[in-house]
Amino acid sequence: MNKKLIYLDNSASSRLDERVLETMKPYYFDTYAVATSEFAYTLGILSREGLDEAREKIATKLGGSAEELVFTSGSTESSNLAIKGVVKAKQKEGNHLIVSKIDDFPVLNSAKFLEREGLKVTFLDVDKDGLIDLEQLKEAINKDTILVSIQHANQEIGTVQDIKAISEISKDKKILFHSDATHSFMRLPINVSKIPVDLVTISSHTIHGPRGIGALYIKKDTPIKKHIDGGFQENNMRAGVENIPGAVGFAKAVELVTEEENDYIKNMRDKLIEKILKEVPATDLNGHRSKRTPQNANITFHYVEGESITLHLDMNGIAVSTGSACFSRSLEASHVILGIGGDHEQAHGSVRFTFGRFNDMKEVDTVVKVISDVVKRLREISPLYKKEKE
Amino acid sequence: MSIDTNKIKKVDCLDETCPVPLVETRKAIRKASPGDIIEVTGNHESSKIEIPMAVEALGLELLSIEEKNGNWIIRIKIPEEK
Repeated sequence: MNKKLIYLDNSASSRLDERVLETMKPYYFDTYAVATSEFAYTLGILSREGLDEAREKIATKLGGSAEELVFTSGSTESSNLAIKGVVKAKQKEGNHLIVSKIDDFPVLNSAKFLEREGLKVTFLDVDKDGLIDLEQLKEAINKDTILVSIQHANQEIGTVQDIKAISEISKDKKILFHSDATHSFMRLPINVSKIPVDLVTISSHTIHGPRGIGALYIKKDTPIKKHIDGGFQENNMRAGVENIPGAVGFAKAVELVTEEENDYIKNMRDKLIEKILKEVPATDLNGHRSKRTPQNANITFHYVEGESITLHLDMNGIAVSTGSACFSRSLEASHVILGIGGDHEQAHGSVRFTFGRFNDMKEVDTVVKVISDVVKRLREISPLYKKEKE
Repeated sequence: MSIDTNKIKKVDCLDETCPVPLVETRKAIRKASPGDIIEVTGNHESSKIEIPMAVEALGLELLSIEEKNGNWIIRIKIPEEK
């Protein structure tokens, strides 16, 4: 219980960086007023300046302008706003949406909600590595298509889509393109001035920033309607008192990510994959070998269940996640692993390891050692393994 | 050895399959007070092996594994100072 925790679930949420917290503190204790215009008291103006500065910094990193960035409560809200907002604004022009089968739940469930409301939705297949087929995308587009929403990087297997090609196809057909970049923002280059993407979802919680803050990049003049009514905050796109400490922390988190850090994370990830595949029998890497986010490794340990591995690693002081959702007692398999053609056994045996700033190489050795032992022992009691050996 | 019955925390996992007994055991360990004894009852064979593995990993004391009429009872001691 007292072991030092090895945290490898940074894509679910990451530890806040102390430097981020220090940047946020003044906006809780000193400059705590609501953001106001120049016609109000000074404290509110200072809050406004803090918010504007944060917006500018993040928008610049994306290659856009401050006016094109709307702060939200996180990537779930951003993707909901992008999809529902565009569909609402363009419902008289068409009623068809295209998403991928392995997109994250904010996109998939927004699409499914709209489908129940009468929208036609195409769920694109992906190949064994998780990549969509660009020809299939072109074929799926029809005269009623109003939006294509394909994630930049996958949340579970880390596969990175060719969003430049996807955005060019969409632009060529005069269709809006949204990409959920929650798991790639700051870990991989993305520049909206070089790629004709119209909407991009980003979040703070995966890059050692605070939770409860994200943003949606909305290219200038993109038709979109807000879906939270109230005041006129966020350029009248998202009502509610702004989360200024969150926005300031998000900007600081963005500032702290460097290319060197991404290389450092990638090296740990590569070593983990190499060692596990070499040292633990009957294992497979899920997702594309090279077109993947630097922080992600997703491995199937055949003949054992991901939840059992997760529980035993936890009791050895290691936090990872699994594509299996047996905890809910529903035994639902990961839609991503099933989407890439995996069967239920592969889905239930998959484990996701995601690295962050606070991991180190020694942890990789420890994880490989512990997981080798845990998997070996779990296989000894696995009916699937016994059957395979017979 | 006399056991203070107030210190025994029972976890019923009969007819539950893997990994539920382990999840419930972990929950009981997390909520236990120093000196408590966690008594898990179940009948899923794999859990009978998995729970002691977890007890070992957590550095806790496995007091006993008792088998009776196809069921098993695992007793785990929580140290006086957690």
